[in-house]
Amino acid sequence: MRQRQTRSVRADRAEALSLQDGYSGKLNDRLARAFNPKTVAVVGDKKMMGYMWLNAMKTFSGKLYSVQIDPSEIPGIEALGVTNYKSLAEVPDDIDYVLCAVPRPVAARIVADCATKKVGAVALFTSGFAETETADGIEAQRQVTEIARENDLLLIGPNCMGIYNRRLGVRHSGDQPAGDPGNVAFIGQSGTHTINFSLVGAVHGIKCSKTVSFGNAVLLDAPDYLDYFVTDPETEVIVMYIEGVKDGARFMESLRKAARKKPVVVWKGGTTVAGGRAVYSHTASLASAPAIWNAAMRQAGVIQTDNLDETIDAVKALVYCKPTTGRGMGLVAMTGGQSVVITDAFEREGLEVPLLTQKSYDELASFFNIIGGSYRNPLDAGGTIGMGFMPGNLQKLFEILERDKNVDAVAMEVSGTFIARRMRQNPAMLDGFVEMMAKQRDESKKPFVAIAHPAHLEDIMLEIRTRLLGRGVATFTSFQAAARAMSRAIGYWRGRRGLD
Amino acid sequence: MIRPAVTTLAGAIRRAKKENRTVLTEIESKEVLARAGIPVTQAALATSATEAGKVAKEMGFPVVLKIVSPDITHKSDVGGVIVGLDSKKAVEEGYATILKAVRKKQPKARIEGVAVQKMAPEGTQVIVGMSKDPQFGPVMMFGLGGVLVEVLKDVSFRIVPLEKRDAAQMVREIKGYPVLEGARGKEPADVKAIEALILKLSAFAEANPQVEEIDLNPVFAYSDGVIAVDARIVIGDGG
Repeated sequence: MRQRQTRSVRADRAEALSLQDGYSGKLNDRLARAFNPKTVAVVGDKKMMGYMWLNAMKTFSGKLYSVQIDPSEIPGIEALGVTNYKSLAEVPDDIDYVLCAVPRPVAARIVADCATKKVGAVALFTSGFAETETADGIEAQRQVTEIARENDLLLIGPNCMGIYNRRLGVRHSGDQPAGDPGNVAFIGQSGTHTINFSLVGAVHGIKCSKTVSFGNAVLLDAPDYLDYFVTDPETEVIVMYIEGVKDGARFMESLRKAARKKPVVVWKGGTTVAGGRAVYSHTASLASAPAIWNAAMRQAGVIQTDNLDETIDAVKALVYCKPTTGRGMGLVAMTGGQSVVITDAFEREGLEVPLLTQKSYDELASFFNIIGGSYRNPLDAGGTIGMGFMPGNLQKLFEILERDKNVDAVAMEVSGTFIARRMRQNPAMLDGFVEMMAKQRDESKKPFVAIAHPAHLEDIMLEIRTRLLGRGVATFTSFQAAARAMSRAIGYWRGRRGLD
Repeated sequence: MIRPAVTTLAGAIRRAKKENRTVLTEIESKEVLARAGIPVTQAALATSATEAGKVAKEMGFPVVLKIVSPDITHKSDVGGVIVGLDSKKAVEEGYATILKAVRKKQPKARIEGVAVQKMAPEGTQVIVGMSKDPQFGPVMMFGLGGVLVEVLKDVSFRIVPLEKRDAAQMVREIKGYPVLEGARGKEPADVKAIEALILKLSAFAEANPQVEEIDLNPVFAYSDGVIAVDARIVIGDGG
């Protein structure tokens, strides 16, 4: 459920600023403790909930405790191999991170216990607060907020999924990967999108370092997590799912600062609640919410997306492609028709497909098969490289594009029909092909993307995409997806350099 | 005698509040902005036809006459603007014509008088403004001027505070930017001066949270500078 705030912007801003100042010590260090916990306590997990939280935390590499006062629940909890205590106070350990899943009437008590225990942070999975827009919900939210604020207790949420740390195995759900590190952080106003990003991203080779679903954000809000992730050495790219912000000025400042250090992708969801505004002037009547949001994102130097697929594609281009500020694409397709379409796709996204240098043309002339092929840029190369059947030629092609000064980045079609035919004859050929693509990605100084359209051979293409992504080759499912992702990544790097 | 610009923002706000209005007049707005270093055409208030004629003679012809009323938003629509008056007599007659037309079209409007203003030479029209977004606070807007701005919505925005780079980007972002570069044989406009105006207005907005909206429309851009020919400030309750 969404939370709608109807207070004045001024009141929100004043509160947000006082809260930021209100937390003692270095907030980033305190968040680092919560996001990299050695000890985790789950409060209030129940059989009725399928022990969802204890199961999610099964992969936690540190010490996991359960706090559950209901005696009928304890046998089930202990059967999971988790030690249970009747209260937080009784846990014989410092607790870095608490996931609170109790019903709303008990939440305030647990938050108070967290304060007494001086835990690192507490995330309230509990819902039924201000997002219900009821008097009871609003009052309950006020209570937990006040207890946390008065006790200098880091409060995440309420109404959220809290923290996910892939390496340490602190999870939101049992479906999430755990045990190995990642490098992409996600900050989400929605629990669904936060979990989905980690799951769908994983299929595309994206590994999350940490994520946080931040719910109603009564104390800690998106800019706080953003500031923390900028300092987190594990995180290289930061992604956010945002529907609205309470303190736009603070958000802008955090975004600007973050984008100067690490790539930031902001996925905007929904439209803001339009304030009623008397229209006195041209200016006010032309300033609509989406136009302002778009301008703010451009000004902050972040990449802006509005759906999950494009968000994941942009992240792939940022994580797997070497940074470049040049827009010249070298395009390699397998047939004439595809060479036309791939060129359209990249040009539509504002990238260039320049002629190569004369030196490149002279070198290509020595081996390129121009019967049923051409090498203007785009290169119609099916007959020359046979989709890896003639690996020597593909290697030569890569080397020529590497040396060509007009080419800043290379995109190559991985054609299902070509590969399927070859693979039936010689299954080991795929290994060789993947190796060559991985070598190109590793050794080239220029960003390199592959496009493996599922076409009518979804299973083979999925295997190829997975293998290429596993070797760090940015692989996309369509020309336009690749072009859009490259254009966004290049735009980001250009902004970092102060170009445009 | 043409009164020097003495209106401070605080003074103008006091006066407006006393008179139960939130819109500063063109004269007040221009004086406040002139004090902030923003290039505006000087406008002097005349409360009689004779005074208008005298003021015009001192300023130099041609002049523009504009009705001054906190209740009138679109002055031309009510016959409240006459341009290109080039003699004392024409100005005196123009004064009377305006009052007659306005009283007919908007009889309830409070009329303070008529602003006499030196007529600026024709330049490329742009619009520069500020309004407040509920999420982001003060926002600057830029666009090519004229009727088309409302129809085409070819405008750009940036959130206050603006850096130099933001002003440069927002000017170049509009589709009509080639006009400023000098399309169709026209001389290129002084884009640096436009950027400087945007930055100055942004600083003014940031320093004065009681200002709710600002409209500079039109601003004439020449090859060597810019000048706001009309200005309107709306005050709020203080940010």
